[in-house]
Order: sequence, then structure tokens, then C-alpha cells
Amino acid sequence: MTRTWIASAAGVAVVSLASCAVKQPQTAEEFRKVAPGAMFMKTETYEVNRALRDVASTFERRAPGCLKVTVRTVSQTTGSYQNIVTEYTPTVVVGGARAELHVQQLHKTGVLYPSKPPEGGVYIFVADAYPEGAKRTRIQIYGPSRGYDVLHRAVRGWATGDNLGCPDMTKIG
Amino acid sequence: MRLAPAALACALAAALLGGCSGGRKSYPNDLPEKNVSVRPALSGVRAVLHIHGVDAQCRTEYLGTLDLDRPSVALGIPADRWSYLVFDFSSSSWLSGSHRMTQETLLRPRAGHRYEIAATYRENIYDVVVREAPPRGQLRPLPLQDFSSCRPR
Repeated sequence: MTRTWIASAAGVAVVSLASCAVKQPQTAEEFRKVAPGAMFMKTETYEVNRALRDVASTFERRAPGCLKVTVRTVSQTTGSYQNIVTEYTPTVVVGGARAELHVQQLHKTGVLYPSKPPEGGVYIFVADAYPEGAKRTRIQIYGPSRGYDVLHRAVRGWATGDNLGCPDMTKIG
Repeated sequence: MRLAPAALACALAAALLGGCSGGRKSYPNDLPEKNVSVRPALSGVRAVLHIHGVDAQCRTEYLGTLDLDRPSVALGIPADRWSYLVFDFSSSSWLSGSHRMTQETLLRPRAGHRYEIAATYRENIYDVVVREAPPRGQLRPLPLQDFSSCRPR
């Protein structure tokens, strides 16, 4: 899949969060701690009427096929040409206390990282699902506040079970 | 699932071939029984379906492409043989450039069964849902099958 456009401020902010911080998050847990206070990042909490095991199952079923993607972004103006290849990598971790969905972003070309990003790329999004009784689940989101709306909406659809579609990752940024 | 690199490379090459207008050809769709019905619901994108045959060694052969430009598109896919279906959603504009997303699945239609496939793209979220029904039976959903699940026989 290809995309031709220029990365927006939110996309740059995610890279900035990872690259300009004194120590960029190397794990999802570090990302959870850093994201709430970072510029262009947000946290969000909502509850869904589904059991944790169902939410976890949906994350496991949809994330690999939908979020393990490579996006090529080409921007061309007079005198400049930019080709950015970005890989997204999802990870789902299911435990007794919660289910986690992590999304990492790695620019393979076109972006310089001041320091080596974590294996798999910079953490850009974490969704944690906690049981709230037998048939309800609380979703805690850590992610960009701008430019990643489609990812937020898709994960909400998976959590509620109302929409199992994949986010068009070319629309990010 | 274990990936068959050579097979996957073939599939990707075939998919790319299918996606390029230069290598594109119409799917003959000449089987008398139209066992698959594709129902596109699209907003802001075009969609086509690339159809590939898959042999016993998991090698693919690009058979052709159908435009998903009607409310329902009927096609015949050989029963009891694997096929590889690539749903290709694309858009293009001067302002936002060109975008292309694909959703793929292996499908082995069973003789006498019918298949309904919903291919949707709305508000930048896309989905392909395959459902199968036996003769005189009710539709039930089938999970999408990644190409890497193909096993040489």
C-alpha cells in the first residue's frame, strides 16, 4: 500500500516523544508512564459491555492482520522529494489481570532517530483492557491526540465488538 | 503459523501484478455456477478483487480481476480447490495522493455451498467478511485465512 502526503504535526510529535525525551520509552510500561504528560499525547478511558476474554480474543484475532502493515509515504514538491517507509508492529499480551495491545512504529527510511529506537519501533499506542465484572471491560488508551483517530476508532470497534474492521493506516498522520 | 517464503513471494508478486494496471486482466468468470456473491459497501474508495488460483505446492497463478462497482458482484470460483482472493481498496486525488489497502484471504469453496462476501470501506475503516452456507442452509461466518496457512500437499 502506498500513501502520498506529508507527515503531520501529530506524526512528528510521536517521533519527538520518542526521540527528544531524555530516555525514550523502551517498553510499553515506560510508554504508559511517559505518554500522559507528553505533548500531542492523550489518555482515554471507557467501558464496554463485553467480557475481558472476548475483548482479548478480538485483539488477538484482529491486530496481527490489521496492524502489521508497511506504509510508504511520498511527498514531492518543487525541489524536494521525501520517501518514508513506515512499519507498524502490533503486540497482544493476554494475562489474567488484563489484556494489552501495543502498536509500534518504525520508520525504515526518511526519518532519522537521534538514538536507537526499541526493537520493533517506537511505541505509539497502548490499549489496556481490565475486567469490570463478568461482562464489562474497562479500556485504558495511551496514544497520540492528533492524527491517529482511525486507530483509536478501530480499537474501540474491536473492544465493543461493533466493528471489527481494520484501520486504514495510510490515513495516519 | 509457519511462513512459506517462496510461496508468499509468489503470492505477493502475483498480487502486485494484479494491482498494476499494466498486468491486469479481467477475471474470465466463465464457470456456470456463480457460487460467490461479493457485496461491496464503499465510501470514498474504489475496490477491485484480484483472484489467484493456488496449486498443491501453494504456488499462485493470477487469474484476473473484477471491479467491485455494483451492489452485488456474482462470480464463480472453482469448488474444492484453493483460491487466493485479494480485495484491493484504493483512492486517488490531487490533494491527498494515492492510497491503497488490501485484505487477502484463502478460500476453498465447497461444492454446492454458496458464499457471500461483504467488502466494506467506511470512514477509513475497511473489512472483508466471508460467510458460507450449505445447500438450503444458513450463512455462517468464515475466518479469513492468511496465505501463510497454505501447506504444500
